[in-house]
Amino acid sequence: MPSARVSPEERLEHAAEGEEERDAVELASLDGATIIEAATGEPEEAVATPSIAIDAERLADAQIVTTKEETWPERGVDLEVDAARGLRLKNPVLTASGTFGQGIEYAELIDVSRLGAIVNKGTTRNPRPGNPQYRIAETPAGILNSIGLENPGAAEVARVYGPKWAKLRVPVIVNVAGYSVDDYVFVVEALAQTPGVVAFELNISCPNVEGGLLFGQDPALAAEVTRAVRETTDLPVIVKLTPSATDVVAVARAVEEAGADGLTAINTVLGMRIDTAKRRPILGTGSGGLSGPAIRPIAVHITYQVAQAVSIPIIGAGGVTSADDALEFLMAGASAVQVGTATFADPEVPLRVIEGLAAYVREQKLSSIRDVIGAALPNGGRMVPRG
Amino acid sequence: MIIEDGRVVASTQIGELGALLSIYAPDVASRASAGQFVHVRPGTGWDPLLRRPYSFCRIDRRGGEVELIVKPLGPGGEWIATRHVGETLDLLGPLGTAFVVRRDTKNLLLVAGGTGIAPMRVIAEQEAARRSVTLVMGGRSVAYLWPSDRLPASVEYVATTDDGSFGIKGRVTDVMPDLLGWADQLLACGPWPMLAAIGRMRDDAARGPVVPGRQALIDAQIAVEQHMGCAMGVCRACVIVTANGNARVCREGPVFALGDVAFEAGEPATVGLT
Ligand SMILES: Cc1cc2nc3c(=O)[nH]c(=O)nc-3n(C[C@H](O)[C@H](O)[C@H](O)COP(=O)(O)O)c2cc1C
Ligand code: FES
Repeated sequence: MPSARVSPEERLEHAAEGEEERDAVELASLDGATIIEAATGEPEEAVATPSIAIDAERLADAQIVTTKEETWPERGVDLEVDAARGLRLKNPVLTASGTFGQGIEYAELIDVSRLGAIVNKGTTRNPRPGNPQYRIAETPAGILNSIGLENPGAAEVARVYGPKWAKLRVPVIVNVAGYSVDDYVFVVEALAQTPGVVAFELNISCPNVEGGLLFGQDPALAAEVTRAVRETTDLPVIVKLTPSATDVVAVARAVEEAGADGLTAINTVLGMRIDTAKRRPILGTGSGGLSGPAIRPIAVHITYQVAQAVSIPIIGAGGVTSADDALEFLMAGASAVQVGTATFADPEVPLRVIEGLAAYVREQKLSSIRDVIGAALPNGGRMVPRG
Repeated sequence: MIIEDGRVVASTQIGELGALLSIYAPDVASRASAGQFVHVRPGTGWDPLLRRPYSFCRIDRRGGEVELIVKPLGPGGEWIATRHVGETLDLLGPLGTAFVVRRDTKNLLLVAGGTGIAPMRVIAEQEAARRSVTLVMGGRSVAYLWPSDRLPASVEYVATTDDGSFGIKGRVTDVMPDLLGWADQLLACGPWPMLAAIGRMRDDAARGPVVPGRQALIDAQIAVEQHMGCAMGVCRACVIVTANGNARVCREGPVFALGDVAFEAGEPATVGLT
């Protein structure tokens, strides 16, 4: 895997020998410029105390790993899918919201242009500082997280990342979160014209400030959000289902009816771990969202149920670590998959899933990966409208 | 940063601090700096799932080796700590920011607590020939101290223990006032309460008169230890509050200006769902 790279910040900081490295940094501060200015030409924001922190994001443009398409193992294999109505992707492998940042971070390590698409971190109307520590805990074959949707807010996301997305050469799906119908509409309006953005994914695992319930727990509320967003944009609208709903199938039907172009199944599963020494929950907020291989059977099951109830495409998510895991979702009726938590352990998983699916199509002598979509369903296949 | 399969070439137990692993990983070693870390995968499967972050404890660029101190904490830490010579370890790194030693520093004061010794030892080895270096290390007892024979001979080593089993009975902050007047620059790494105590010394000094050592405290750099998920800057599991707002320890850190870290602010506290 071609991932060995030296970034500009590393070049600045870690020249081959100790003394050289300090010289680079000191030169950068000699004329009153900071390391960031020296590297990017952008003035750093004024701060009360001298900061030695380097904002990696500002340096990210030059660090993107690129490889030649001729060398991609999946080349020549038909992996094209419609991940949602009006959202044709070159392959069915996406990265999951909250596990791939804004797409630029892992671009320093892997060639993200090989991915079907990326989904950005949950974006809200206003900036959010996120939850108190601890925000993460490990569980058997999984993790619990309670990040609290920390993000800089819709306007800042568009301003800072739009120009970077334009250069990433991978479609970007914006994950939208909110606490009222207006919030969702606001974020979609703020990002609909942003370069690189091809669709919206609505995270409806958020509490409705008026009702208290999660949007995604109530078919009527979920439909209301979907309809409002549908009327705001011409881009495909994907609704991300939460397993916390009593009747996930009813929510899926309601949002399809309200105009959703696709579904993602599933968001994290609520869970908790207790610190037995301190006799209190480990996570700062008590409970958190469970993800990783631990939830895969739950996610495959929900995909299987929903696939029989709706006719829009489904993107499977939950514990995908390999091409075989991805095939489980596809055979359960998903048209694509998202890789999330597995990337933390092995950043190369998303690309290996693509390679593995291509190898499978070749070995099985299929005409395309689309041949397996819904293969495990009772009727032995799933017809979703193309285009 | 890169992903590299390193090969364990030596493993030694350092008292109660943990296993000291020497790893042949030339690509990581050639890019590494003191204060930075590697994110190590605990096995090849999915249970345990998360990588563990370890700060470099030695960087030998020419020999292509790095050393890490691994406390056997949890199933992942235990798996990594018990790797034998000849086995491989999947390393992601080097990650994060590095300490910067000023060229005009004559007297360098290093302060370490627990496994916070790791970056301080790297700096002691790199700087011993260039300037006067004093290392203050604190631990619960003698078993939690770094062995002096694994430091350059010219480094002045001041040890403190909570129980008085070795060196001075007390904390690192008890002996620091005597050394600050000598120091041109201060670097520290250790548990949060230790760093917070040094932060309070800085606040007091900043309010007080201009005395020797005041500037070293004001300009001090620290490396913060924190739980991590991705270590790539995407998950925001590792944030602390700084003068510049939330900062990711894996990205904007682990090395911060002491004065930038808002110890008193604690962690951000807004309720939300992910
Ligand atoms: C650290 C973390 C942060 C997440 N943040 C979001 C988010 O902002 N919005 C969202 O819709 N889902 C979020 N998710 C859920 C994932 O997108 C995905 O649905 C879930 O983790 C299941 O997939 P996985 O098992 O492959 O991780 C997050 C998951 C993790 C682990
Ligand atoms: S550990 Fe994920 S952002 Fe720092």
